[in-house]
Amino acid sequence: MIAFEHVSLEYLPGRFALQDVSFTLSAGSFTFLTGHSGAGKSSLLRLVARLERPSSGEIQVGNIHYSHLRPRQEPALRQQMGIVFQDNQLLLDRSVFDNVAFPLIIGGYRYNDIKTRVSAALKRVGLADKALENPQVLSGGEQQRIGIARAVVARPKLLLADEPTGNLDPDISAEIMHLFMQFNASGVTVLFATHDQSLLDTFRYPRLQLLNGTLTGASRETASGQATPSSRNPDNVR
Amino acid sequence: MARKTPPSMTQETAANAAGPRWTYTKRGYALAQSLRQLKRHKFASLITLLVLGITLALPVMLLFASSALQQLGSRSIEGESLTAYLQDSVSDLDGAALATQWASSEGIRETRYISREEALALFRENSDIGSAIDALGENPLPGAVIIYPDSNVLRAGTVDALAARLRTNEAVERVQYDLRWVRRLQAVVSLVQLVGGMLALFLTLTALLVIGNTIRLELLRRRSEMEVASLLGAGSFFMNRPILYIGALYGLLGGVVASIIAVIGFNAIKQPADDLSSLYESTFRLSHPTATQIGIVLAVSLVLGVVGALSSMYRPSQQLTQRGSNGS
Repeated sequence: MIAFEHVSLEYLPGRFALQDVSFTLSAGSFTFLTGHSGAGKSSLLRLVARLERPSSGEIQVGNIHYSHLRPRQEPALRQQMGIVFQDNQLLLDRSVFDNVAFPLIIGGYRYNDIKTRVSAALKRVGLADKALENPQVLSGGEQQRIGIARAVVARPKLLLADEPTGNLDPDISAEIMHLFMQFNASGVTVLFATHDQSLLDTFRYPRLQLLNGTLTGASRETASGQATPSSRNPDNVR
Repeated sequence: MARKTPPSMTQETAANAAGPRWTYTKRGYALAQSLRQLKRHKFASLITLLVLGITLALPVMLLFASSALQQLGSRSIEGESLTAYLQDSVSDLDGAALATQWASSEGIRETRYISREEALALFRENSDIGSAIDALGENPLPGAVIIYPDSNVLRAGTVDALAARLRTNEAVERVQYDLRWVRRLQAVVSLVQLVGGMLALFLTLTALLVIGNTIRLELLRRRSEMEVASLLGAGSFFMNRPILYIGALYGLLGGVVASIIAVIGFNAIKQPADDLSSLYESTFRLSHPTATQIGIVLAVSLVLGVVGALSSMYRPSQQLTQRGSNGS
Protein backbone atom coordinates (compact mmCIF):
# COMPACT_ATOMS: atom_id res chain seq x y z
CA MET A 1 0.00 0.00 0.00
CA ILE A 2 2.75 2.45 1.02
CA ALA A 3 6.35 2.02 -0.08
CA PHE A 4 9.25 4.37 0.69
CA GLU A 5 12.54 3.72 -1.14
CA HIS A 6 15.54 5.64 0.26
CA VAL A 7 13.44 8.73 0.80
CA SER A 8 15.09 11.88 2.14
CA LEU A 9 13.62 15.27 2.84
CA GLU A 10 16.12 18.09 3.13
CA TYR A 11 14.56 21.35 4.28
CA LEU A 12 17.84 23.33 4.40
CA PRO A 13 21.20 22.39 2.87
CA GLY A 14 22.58 19.62 5.08
CA ARG A 15 19.51 19.67 7.38
CA PHE A 16 17.29 16.65 6.91
CA ALA A 17 13.76 16.15 8.20
CA LEU A 18 14.03 12.57 6.92
CA GLN A 19 17.09 10.71 5.70
CA ASP A 20 17.23 7.54 3.63
CA VAL A 21 13.92 6.15 4.88
CA SER A 22 12.75 2.85 3.38
CA PHE A 23 9.78 0.73 4.40
CA THR A 24 6.73 -1.02 3.00
CA LEU A 25 3.27 -1.16 4.55
CA SER A 26 0.70 -3.63 3.28
CA ALA A 27 -2.88 -2.76 2.43
CA GLY A 28 -5.19 -3.11 5.42
CA SER A 29 -2.39 -2.79 7.98
CA PHE A 30 -2.41 -0.67 11.13
CA THR A 31 0.96 0.86 11.89
CA PHE A 32 2.15 3.23 14.57
CA LEU A 33 4.62 5.87 13.51
CA THR A 34 6.58 6.74 16.61
CA GLY A 35 9.43 8.94 17.65
CA HIS A 36 10.12 12.00 19.77
CA SER A 37 8.88 15.46 18.84
CA GLY A 38 10.77 16.62 15.77
CA ALA A 39 11.78 13.09 14.79
CA GLY A 40 10.12 13.50 11.40
CA LYS A 41 6.71 11.85 11.93
CA SER A 42 4.69 14.75 10.51
CA SER A 43 7.13 15.16 7.61
CA LEU A 44 6.70 11.51 6.74
CA LEU A 45 2.91 11.80 6.81
CA ARG A 46 3.08 14.97 4.71
CA LEU A 47 5.17 13.09 2.16
CA VAL A 48 2.57 10.32 2.00
CA ALA A 49 -0.19 12.94 1.57
CA ARG A 50 1.93 14.66 -1.09
CA LEU A 51 1.91 17.86 0.93
CA GLU A 52 5.72 17.76 0.64
CA ARG A 53 7.97 16.47 -2.10
CA PRO A 54 10.99 14.33 -1.20
CA SER A 55 14.46 15.66 -1.93
CA SER A 56 15.38 12.18 -3.11
CA GLY A 57 13.98 8.66 -3.18
CA GLU A 58 10.77 7.17 -4.45
CA ILE A 59 7.36 6.94 -2.82
CA GLN A 60 4.57 4.68 -3.99
CA VAL A 61 1.06 4.60 -2.59
CA GLY A 62 -1.18 1.94 -4.09
CA ASN A 63 -0.34 1.90 -7.78
CA ILE A 64 0.71 5.52 -7.84
CA HIS A 65 4.39 6.37 -8.17
CA TYR A 66 4.75 9.87 -6.82
CA SER A 67 7.64 10.66 -9.14
CA HIS A 68 5.18 10.28 -12.06
CA LEU A 69 2.49 12.38 -10.41
CA ARG A 70 1.66 15.75 -11.95
CA PRO A 71 0.80 18.67 -9.64
CA ARG A 72 -2.75 18.84 -10.96
CA GLN A 73 -3.26 15.16 -10.04
CA GLU A 74 -2.34 15.79 -6.40
CA PRO A 75 -5.79 17.00 -5.21
CA ALA A 76 -7.41 13.83 -6.59
CA LEU A 77 -4.79 11.74 -4.79
CA ARG A 78 -5.50 13.52 -1.51
CA GLN A 79 -9.22 12.88 -1.94
CA GLN A 80 -8.46 9.17 -1.76
CA MET A 81 -6.89 9.54 1.69
CA GLY A 82 -8.32 10.48 5.05
CA ILE A 83 -6.17 12.76 7.17
CA VAL A 84 -6.69 13.42 10.89
CA PHE A 85 -4.74 16.18 12.59
CA GLN A 86 -3.84 16.79 16.21
CA ASP A 87 -5.52 20.19 16.14
CA ASN A 88 -8.62 18.90 14.26
CA GLN A 89 -8.47 21.63 11.60
CA LEU A 90 -12.24 22.04 11.90
CA LEU A 91 -14.04 24.97 10.34
CA LEU A 92 -15.74 26.83 13.15
CA ASP A 93 -18.07 28.85 10.95
CA ARG A 94 -20.31 25.87 10.15
CA SER A 95 -22.10 22.95 11.72
CA VAL A 96 -20.69 19.52 12.53
CA PHE A 97 -22.66 18.14 9.55
CA ASP A 98 -21.16 20.66 7.15
CA ASN A 99 -17.64 20.04 8.46
CA VAL A 100 -17.98 16.34 7.76
CA ALA A 101 -19.67 17.00 4.40
CA PHE A 102 -16.81 19.23 3.22
CA PRO A 103 -14.65 16.50 1.58
CA LEU A 104 -17.74 15.19 -0.20
CA ILE A 105 -18.56 18.62 -1.63
CA ILE A 106 -14.94 18.84 -2.79
CA GLY A 107 -15.30 15.37 -4.32
CA GLY A 108 -18.49 16.40 -6.16
CA TYR A 109 -20.80 13.87 -4.47
CA ARG A 110 -24.58 14.03 -4.96
CA TYR A 111 -26.79 15.59 -2.28
CA ASN A 112 -28.48 12.35 -1.23
CA ASP A 113 -25.15 10.58 -1.14
CA ILE A 114 -23.73 13.34 1.04
CA LYS A 115 -26.64 13.09 3.48
CA THR A 116 -26.32 9.31 3.70
CA ARG A 117 -22.55 9.22 4.07
CA VAL A 118 -22.31 12.08 6.58
CA SER A 119 -25.10 10.60 8.69
CA ALA A 120 -23.39 7.21 8.65
CA ALA A 121 -19.98 8.68 9.52
CA LEU A 122 -21.42 10.73 12.38
CA LYS A 123 -23.30 7.72 13.68
CA ARG A 124 -20.11 5.69 13.54
CA VAL A 125 -18.24 8.19 15.71
CA GLY A 126 -21.24 8.63 18.02
CA LEU A 127 -22.09 12.21 17.06
CA ALA A 128 -25.27 11.75 15.01
CA ASP A 129 -27.26 13.82 17.50
CA LYS A 130 -24.71 16.66 17.36
CA ALA A 131 -24.93 17.21 13.60
CA LEU A 132 -26.49 20.65 13.92
CA GLU A 133 -24.10 21.87 16.61
CA ASN A 134 -21.17 24.15 16.01
CA PRO A 135 -17.88 22.33 16.76
CA GLN A 136 -16.90 25.12 19.16
CA VAL A 137 -19.48 24.03 21.72
CA LEU A 138 -18.24 20.44 21.76
CA SER A 139 -15.49 18.87 23.88
CA GLY A 140 -11.97 18.18 22.62
CA GLY A 141 -12.75 14.47 22.25
CA GLU A 142 -15.91 15.22 20.31
CA GLN A 143 -14.05 17.63 18.08
CA GLN A 144 -11.46 14.99 17.35
CA ARG A 145 -14.25 12.57 16.46
CA ILE A 146 -15.64 15.13 14.00
CA GLY A 147 -12.17 15.22 12.43
CA ILE A 148 -12.19 11.43 12.19
CA ALA A 149 -15.69 11.37 10.69
CA ARG A 150 -14.53 13.92 8.13
CA ALA A 151 -11.48 11.80 7.32
CA VAL A 152 -13.47 8.62 6.76
CA VAL A 153 -16.65 10.01 5.20
CA ALA A 154 -15.39 9.49 1.64
CA ARG A 155 -14.44 5.92 2.59
CA PRO A 156 -10.71 6.22 1.88
CA LYS A 157 -8.47 3.20 1.68
CA LEU A 158 -5.73 4.97 3.60
CA LEU A 159 -6.11 6.87 6.86
CA LEU A 160 -3.26 9.09 8.07
CA ALA A 161 -3.41 10.33 11.64
CA ASP A 162 -0.97 12.90 12.97
CA GLU A 163 -1.00 12.72 16.77
CA PRO A 164 -4.81 12.63 16.90
CA THR A 165 -4.80 11.94 20.64
CA GLY A 166 -2.12 14.51 21.43
CA ASN A 167 -4.45 16.90 23.24
CA LEU A 168 -6.77 14.34 24.81
CA ASP A 169 -6.87 12.62 28.17
CA PRO A 170 -6.14 8.85 28.34
CA ASP A 171 -9.79 7.69 28.40
CA ILE A 172 -10.73 9.75 25.36
CA SER A 173 -7.49 8.71 23.64
CA ALA A 174 -8.47 5.06 24.06
CA GLU A 175 -11.92 5.84 22.66
CA ILE A 176 -10.38 7.50 19.62
CA MET A 177 -7.95 4.64 19.22
CA HIS A 178 -10.85 2.17 19.17
CA LEU A 179 -12.45 4.13 16.37
CA PHE A 180 -9.28 3.80 14.29
CA MET A 181 -9.18 0.09 15.07
CA GLN A 182 -12.78 -0.26 13.84
CA PHE A 183 -11.90 1.44 10.56
CA ASN A 184 -8.84 -0.75 10.22
CA ALA A 185 -11.00 -3.82 10.83
CA SER A 186 -13.13 -2.79 7.87
CA GLY A 187 -10.07 -2.86 5.62
CA VAL A 188 -8.71 0.70 5.87
CA THR A 189 -4.92 1.02 6.05
CA VAL A 190 -4.03 3.18 9.04
CA LEU A 191 -0.75 5.01 9.63
CA PHE A 192 -1.02 6.51 13.10
CA ALA A 193 1.67 8.93 14.28
CA THR A 194 2.03 9.21 18.04
CA HIS A 195 4.64 9.57 20.74
CA ASP A 196 2.19 8.59 23.48
CA GLN A 197 3.97 5.67 25.16
CA SER A 198 0.88 4.53 27.08
CA LEU A 199 -1.02 4.21 23.80
CA LEU A 200 1.88 2.26 22.27
CA ASP A 201 2.00 -0.02 25.29
CA THR A 202 -1.74 -0.62 25.34
CA PHE A 203 -2.25 -1.22 21.64
CA ARG A 204 0.53 -3.45 20.36
CA TYR A 205 0.52 -2.78 16.63
CA PRO A 206 3.55 -2.75 14.29
CA ARG A 207 5.66 0.37 14.52
CA LEU A 208 7.87 2.51 12.41
CA GLN A 209 10.25 4.27 14.75
CA LEU A 210 11.98 7.48 13.78
CA LEU A 211 14.97 9.08 15.43
CA ASN A 212 16.19 12.42 14.11
CA GLY A 213 14.74 11.72 10.68
CA THR A 214 16.12 8.23 10.38
CA LEU A 215 14.11 5.05 10.61
CA THR A 216 15.62 3.14 13.52
CA GLY A 217 13.20 0.30 13.73
CA ALA A 218 10.12 -1.27 12.21
CA SER A 219 8.12 -4.28 13.17
CA ARG A 220 7.25 -7.03 10.72
CA GLU A 221 3.83 -7.55 9.24
CA THR A 222 2.11 -10.78 8.39
CA ALA A 223 2.10 -11.99 4.82
CA SER A 224 -1.63 -11.19 4.48
CA GLY A 225 -0.89 -7.58 5.27
CA GLN A 226 -2.96 -7.53 8.44
CA ALA A 227 -1.17 -5.81 11.23
CA THR A 228 -0.19 -7.86 14.23
CA PRO A 229 1.07 -6.74 17.60
CA SER A 230 4.66 -5.68 17.35
CA SER A 231 7.66 -7.23 18.98
CA ARG A 232 9.36 -5.33 21.76
CA ASN A 233 12.50 -4.96 19.66
CA PRO A 234 11.25 -4.30 16.20
CA ASP A 235 13.69 -4.66 13.38
CA ASN A 236 13.52 -2.98 10.05
CA VAL A 237 11.02 -4.29 7.50
CA ARG A 238 13.52 -3.94 4.70
CA MET B 1 -30.65 7.05 33.19
CA ALA B 2 -30.72 8.64 29.78
CA ARG B 3 -32.77 6.81 27.18
CA LYS B 4 -30.65 5.57 24.32
CA THR B 5 -31.75 7.03 21.00
CA PRO B 6 -32.43 4.35 18.38
CA PRO B 7 -29.67 4.32 15.72
CA SER B 8 -32.10 4.99 12.86
CA MET B 9 -33.42 8.05 14.69
CA THR B 10 -29.97 9.57 15.27
CA GLN B 11 -28.99 8.97 11.68
CA GLU B 12 -32.19 10.64 10.54
CA THR B 13 -31.48 13.56 12.87
CA ALA B 14 -28.04 13.91 11.31
CA ALA B 15 -29.47 13.84 7.79
CA ASN B 16 -31.95 16.54 8.77
CA ALA B 17 -29.03 18.78 9.66
CA ALA B 18 -28.20 19.11 5.97
CA GLY B 19 -28.79 22.54 4.50
CA PRO B 20 -30.56 23.27 1.18
CA ARG B 21 -29.66 20.92 -1.67
CA TRP B 22 -28.05 23.63 -3.84
CA THR B 23 -25.47 24.49 -1.17
CA TYR B 24 -23.87 21.03 -1.49
CA THR B 25 -22.80 21.34 -5.11
CA LYS B 26 -19.42 22.90 -5.88
CA ARG B 27 -20.95 26.03 -7.43
CA GLY B 28 -23.72 26.24 -4.85
CA TYR B 29 -21.21 25.89 -2.04
CA ALA B 30 -19.13 28.73 -3.47
CA LEU B 31 -22.19 30.97 -3.86
CA ALA B 32 -23.52 30.12 -0.40
CA GLN B 33 -20.11 30.87 1.15
CA SER B 34 -19.93 34.20 -0.69
CA LEU B 35 -23.41 35.25 0.40
CA ARG B 36 -22.74 34.07 3.95
CA GLN B 37 -19.56 36.15 4.00
CA LEU B 38 -21.44 39.29 2.88
CA LYS B 39 -24.14 38.61 5.48
CA ARG B 40 -21.67 37.87 8.25
CA HIS B 41 -19.79 41.13 7.74
CA LYS B 42 -22.86 43.24 6.98
CA PHE B 43 -21.45 46.62 7.98
CA ALA B 44 -18.09 46.15 6.24
CA SER B 45 -19.86 44.82 3.13
CA LEU B 46 -22.27 47.75 3.12
CA ILE B 47 -19.41 50.27 3.38
CA THR B 48 -17.53 48.52 0.57
CA LEU B 49 -20.65 48.52 -1.62
CA LEU B 50 -21.24 52.22 -0.93
CA VAL B 51 -17.61 53.06 -1.77
CA LEU B 52 -17.90 51.03 -4.97
CA GLY B 53 -21.30 52.52 -5.79
CA ILE B 54 -20.13 56.09 -5.30
CA THR B 55 -16.91 55.43 -7.23
CA LEU B 56 -18.79 53.90 -10.14
CA ALA B 57 -21.67 56.43 -10.02
CA LEU B 58 -19.68 59.20 -11.70
CA PRO B 59 -18.63 57.12 -14.74
CA VAL B 60 -22.22 55.87 -14.96
CA MET B 61 -23.57 59.44 -14.88
CA LEU B 62 -21.02 60.42 -17.50
CA LEU B 63 -22.19 57.52 -19.65
CA PHE B 64 -25.80 58.68 -19.34
CA ALA B 65 -24.84 62.35 -19.92
CA SER B 66 -22.67 61.47 -22.90
CA SER B 67 -25.57 59.61 -24.45
CA ALA B 68 -27.89 62.59 -23.85
CA LEU B 69 -25.35 65.01 -25.36
CA GLN B 70 -24.97 62.75 -28.36
CA GLN B 71 -28.74 62.92 -28.77
CA LEU B 72 -28.65 66.71 -28.47
CA GLY B 73 -25.87 66.88 -31.05
CA SER B 74 -27.83 64.71 -33.47
CA ARG B 75 -30.97 66.81 -33.05
CA SER B 76 -29.00 70.01 -33.65
CA ILE B 77 -27.49 68.54 -36.76
CA GLU B 78 -30.87 67.47 -38.04
CA GLY B 79 -32.18 71.06 -37.71
CA GLU B 80 -29.32 72.57 -39.71
CA SER B 81 -29.93 73.80 -43.27
CA LEU B 82 -28.42 75.68 -46.22
CA THR B 83 -30.25 78.44 -48.05
CA ALA B 84 -29.85 78.76 -51.80
CA TYR B 85 -30.98 82.22 -52.97
CA LEU B 86 -32.19 82.08 -56.56
CA GLN B 87 -31.71 84.57 -59.39
CA ASP B 88 -34.49 87.20 -59.69
CA SER B 89 -35.25 85.80 -63.11
CA VAL B 90 -36.27 82.38 -61.72
CA SER B 91 -40.04 82.01 -61.58
CA ASP B 92 -41.89 80.42 -58.66
CA LEU B 93 -42.68 77.43 -60.87
CA ASP B 94 -39.03 76.89 -61.78
CA GLY B 95 -37.96 77.47 -58.18
CA ALA B 96 -40.37 74.87 -56.86
CA ALA B 97 -39.26 72.44 -59.58
CA LEU B 98 -35.62 73.01 -58.64
CA ALA B 99 -36.45 72.32 -54.97
CA THR B 100 -38.17 69.06 -55.94
CA GLN B 101 -35.23 68.06 -58.12
CA TRP B 102 -32.68 68.71 -55.33
CA ALA B 103 -34.78 66.84 -52.76
CA SER B 104 -34.16 63.61 -54.65
CA SER B 105 -30.43 64.19 -55.15
CA GLU B 106 -27.63 62.62 -53.11
CA GLY B 107 -26.77 64.09 -49.71
CA ILE B 108 -30.03 66.02 -49.37
CA ARG B 109 -32.74 64.86 -47.00
CA GLU B 110 -35.40 67.49 -47.66
CA THR B 111 -35.95 70.81 -49.42
CA ARG B 112 -38.49 73.59 -49.15
CA TYR B 113 -39.09 76.32 -51.70
CA ILE B 114 -39.82 79.81 -50.39
CA SER B 115 -41.35 82.04 -53.01
CA ARG B 116 -40.58 85.77 -53.22
CA GLU B 117 -44.01 86.64 -51.73
CA GLU B 118 -43.54 84.14 -48.92
CA ALA B 119 -40.08 85.57 -48.21
CA LEU B 120 -41.56 89.07 -48.05
CA ALA B 121 -44.28 87.94 -45.67
CA LEU B 122 -41.69 86.24 -43.43
CA PHE B 123 -39.50 89.36 -43.51
CA ARG B 124 -42.42 91.56 -42.50
CA GLU B 125 -43.33 89.17 -39.71
CA ASN B 126 -39.86 88.70 -38.23
CA SER B 127 -38.04 91.93 -38.96
CA ASP B 128 -38.31 95.23 -37.09
CA ILE B 129 -37.92 97.06 -40.38
CA GLY B 130 -40.61 95.03 -42.12
CA SER B 131 -42.68 98.14 -42.93
CA ALA B 132 -39.66 99.95 -44.43
CA ILE B 133 -39.65 97.54 -47.33
CA ASP B 134 -42.95 98.98 -48.57
CA ALA B 135 -41.11 102.23 -49.39
CA LEU B 136 -39.17 100.40 -52.09
CA GLY B 137 -42.31 99.92 -54.15
CA GLU B 138 -41.35 96.43 -55.28
CA ASN B 139 -40.34 93.15 -53.61
CA PRO B 140 -36.52 93.05 -53.48
CA LEU B 141 -36.33 89.57 -51.95
CA PRO B 142 -35.35 86.62 -54.15
CA GLY B 143 -36.99 83.22 -54.10
CA ALA B 144 -35.01 80.68 -52.07
CA VAL B 145 -34.70 76.97 -51.49
CA ILE B 146 -34.04 75.71 -47.96
CA ILE B 147 -31.94 72.56 -48.16
CA TYR B 148 -31.71 70.10 -45.26
CA PRO B 149 -28.66 67.91 -45.85
CA ASP B 150 -28.40 64.30 -44.75
CA SER B 151 -27.00 63.95 -41.23
CA ASN B 152 -24.14 61.92 -42.77
CA VAL B 153 -23.13 64.94 -44.86
CA LEU B 154 -23.24 67.16 -41.77
CA ARG B 155 -21.24 64.78 -39.61
CA ALA B 156 -18.65 64.10 -42.30
CA GLY B 157 -18.12 67.84 -42.76
CA THR B 158 -18.85 67.68 -46.52
CA VAL B 159 -21.35 70.56 -46.38
CA ASP B 160 -18.89 72.81 -48.24
CA ALA B 161 -18.81 70.33 -51.12
CA LEU B 162 -22.60 70.23 -51.21
CA ALA B 163 -22.77 74.03 -51.23
CA ALA B 164 -20.26 74.17 -54.08
CA ARG B 165 -22.34 71.67 -56.03
CA LEU B 166 -25.49 73.80 -55.54
CA ARG B 167 -23.67 76.94 -56.68
CA THR B 168 -22.91 75.37 -60.03
CA ASN B 169 -26.59 75.61 -60.89
CA GLU B 170 -27.25 78.71 -63.03
CA ALA B 171 -30.49 79.48 -61.19
CA VAL B 172 -28.58 79.96 -57.93
CA GLU B 173 -27.24 83.37 -57.07
CA ARG B 174 -25.60 82.42 -53.78
CA VAL B 175 -25.67 79.73 -51.08
CA GLN B 176 -25.60 80.68 -47.41
CA TYR B 177 -25.12 78.47 -44.38
CA ASP B 178 -23.75 78.66 -40.87
CA LEU B 179 -22.75 75.50 -39.09
CA ARG B 180 -20.57 77.10 -36.41
CA TRP B 181 -23.06 76.30 -33.66
CA VAL B 182 -23.24 72.64 -34.66
CA ARG B 183 -19.48 72.39 -34.89
CA ARG B 184 -19.07 74.03 -31.49
CA LEU B 185 -21.59 71.68 -29.95
CA GLN B 186 -19.92 68.67 -31.51
CA ALA B 187 -16.55 69.84 -30.20
CA VAL B 188 -18.02 70.25 -26.72
CA VAL B 189 -19.60 66.80 -26.90
CA SER B 190 -16.27 65.29 -28.04
CA LEU B 191 -14.41 67.05 -25.23
CA VAL B 192 -16.92 65.95 -22.62
CA GLN B 193 -16.70 62.40 -23.93
CA LEU B 194 -12.91 62.46 -23.82
CA VAL B 195 -12.71 63.92 -20.31
CA GLY B 196 -15.53 61.61 -19.23
CA GLY B 197 -13.71 58.63 -20.68
CA MET B 198 -10.51 59.51 -18.83
CA LEU B 199 -12.39 60.07 -15.58
CA ALA B 200 -14.27 56.82 -16.09
CA LEU B 201 -10.97 55.02 -16.63
CA PHE B 202 -9.43 56.42 -13.41
CA LEU B 203 -12.55 55.74 -11.39
CA THR B 204 -12.83 52.25 -12.81
CA LEU B 205 -9.24 51.61 -11.77
CA THR B 206 -10.14 52.92 -8.32
CA ALA B 207 -13.10 50.52 -8.19
CA LEU B 208 -10.76 47.69 -9.22
CA LEU B 209 -8.37 48.58 -6.40
CA VAL B 210 -11.24 48.73 -3.90
CA ILE B 211 -12.47 45.30 -4.99
CA GLY B 212 -8.92 43.94 -5.02
CA ASN B 213 -8.26 45.20 -1.50
CA THR B 214 -11.56 43.81 -0.22
CA ILE B 215 -10.79 40.45 -1.78
CA ARG B 216 -7.33 40.42 -0.20
CA LEU B 217 -8.93 40.90 3.21
CA GLU B 218 -11.41 38.18 2.32
CA LEU B 219 -8.54 35.85 1.41
CA LEU B 220 -6.97 36.46 4.82
CA ARG B 221 -10.31 35.70 6.49
CA ARG B 222 -10.70 32.49 4.48
CA ARG B 223 -7.12 31.32 4.81
CA SER B 224 -7.86 28.53 7.29
CA GLU B 225 -10.73 27.23 5.16
CA MET B 226 -8.54 27.23 2.07
CA GLU B 227 -5.78 25.37 3.90
CA VAL B 228 -8.20 22.73 5.16
CA ALA B 229 -9.73 22.44 1.68
CA SER B 230 -6.26 21.97 0.21
CA LEU B 231 -5.50 19.20 2.74
CA LEU B 232 -8.78 17.49 1.89
CA GLY B 233 -7.95 17.41 -1.80
CA ALA B 234 -9.51 20.58 -3.17
CA GLY B 235 -8.01 21.95 -6.35
CA SER B 236 -7.13 25.62 -6.69
CA PHE B 237 -10.33 26.31 -8.65
CA PHE B 238 -12.51 24.96 -5.85
CA MET B 239 -10.63 27.15 -3.36
CA ASN B 240 -10.75 30.23 -5.56
CA ARG B 241 -14.34 29.98 -6.73
CA PRO B 242 -15.96 31.53 -3.61
CA ILE B 243 -13.52 34.44 -3.88
CA LEU B 244 -14.38 34.87 -7.53
CA TYR B 245 -18.08 34.86 -6.65
CA ILE B 246 -17.55 37.43 -3.90
CA GLY B 247 -15.77 39.67 -6.42
CA ALA B 248 -18.64 39.23 -8.88
CA LEU B 249 -21.20 39.96 -6.15
CA TYR B 250 -19.35 43.08 -5.04
CA GLY B 251 -19.10 44.23 -8.65
CA LEU B 252 -22.75 43.55 -9.45
CA LEU B 253 -24.12 45.06 -6.24
CA GLY B 254 -21.73 48.00 -6.61
CA GLY B 255 -23.15 48.49 -10.11
CA VAL B 256 -26.70 48.43 -8.71
CA VAL B 257 -25.80 51.07 -6.10
CA ALA B 258 -24.04 53.16 -8.77
CA SER B 259 -27.07 52.93 -11.08
CA ILE B 260 -29.42 53.98 -8.28
CA ILE B 261 -27.20 56.96 -7.40
CA ALA B 262 -26.87 57.90 -11.08
CA VAL B 263 -30.62 57.67 -11.75
CA ILE B 264 -31.36 59.80 -8.66
CA GLY B 265 -28.74 62.33 -9.79
CA PHE B 266 -30.11 62.30 -13.32
CA ASN B 267 -33.64 62.91 -12.09
CA ALA B 268 -32.34 65.83 -10.05
CA ILE B 269 -30.79 67.54 -13.10
CA LYS B 270 -33.52 66.62 -15.60
CA GLN B 271 -35.87 69.53 -14.86
CA PRO B 272 -33.16 72.26 -14.91
CA ALA B 273 -31.73 70.77 -18.13
CA ASP B 274 -35.16 70.70 -19.77
CA ASP B 275 -35.79 74.29 -18.66
CA LEU B 276 -32.44 75.34 -20.17
CA SER B 277 -33.34 73.56 -23.39
CA SER B 278 -36.67 75.42 -23.52
CA LEU B 279 -34.85 78.74 -23.11
CA TYR B 280 -32.98 77.94 -26.35
CA GLU B 281 -36.32 77.09 -28.01
CA SER B 282 -35.14 73.53 -28.37
CA THR B 283 -37.48 70.54 -28.31
CA PHE B 284 -34.69 68.52 -26.75
CA ARG B 285 -35.65 66.85 -23.45
CA LEU B 286 -33.30 64.85 -21.26
CA SER B 287 -34.49 61.25 -21.47
CA HIS B 288 -34.17 58.73 -18.64
CA PRO B 289 -31.41 56.10 -18.79
CA THR B 290 -32.60 53.09 -20.75
CA ALA B 291 -32.75 49.51 -19.50
CA THR B 292 -29.96 48.68 -21.98
CA GLN B 293 -27.70 51.36 -20.50
CA ILE B 294 -28.35 50.08 -16.97
CA GLY B 295 -27.78 46.53 -18.20
CA ILE B 296 -24.41 47.60 -19.65
CA VAL B 297 -23.47 49.25 -16.34
CA LEU B 298 -24.34 46.09 -14.39
CA ALA B 299 -22.47 43.83 -16.83
CA VAL B 300 -19.37 46.05 -16.79
CA SER B 301 -19.36 46.30 -12.99
CA LEU B 302 -19.76 42.52 -12.69
CA VAL B 303 -16.76 42.03 -14.97
CA LEU B 304 -14.85 44.60 -12.90
CA GLY B 305 -15.62 42.58 -9.77
CA VAL B 306 -14.36 39.37 -11.34
CA VAL B 307 -11.21 41.03 -12.71
CA GLY B 308 -10.55 42.68 -9.30
CA ALA B 309 -10.92 39.30 -7.61
CA LEU B 310 -8.73 37.54 -10.16
CA SER B 311 -5.98 40.12 -9.88
CA SER B 312 -5.84 39.95 -6.09
CA MET B 313 -6.15 36.20 -5.65
CA TYR B 314 -3.62 35.13 -8.23
CA ARG B 315 -0.58 35.33 -6.00
CA PRO B 316 -2.06 34.26 -2.62
CA SER B 317 -3.75 31.15 -4.06
CA GLN B 318 -0.59 30.32 -5.96
CA GLN B 319 1.37 30.60 -2.71
CA LEU B 320 -1.15 28.40 -0.95
CA THR B 321 -0.97 25.79 -3.70
CA GLN B 322 2.81 25.84 -3.51
CA ARG B 323 2.62 25.56 0.27
CA GLY B 324 0.25 22.64 -0.14
CA SER B 325 2.68 20.96 -2.48
CA ASN B 326 6.00 21.90 -0.96
CA GLY B 327 5.12 22.42 2.65
CA SER B 328 5.58 25.51 4.73
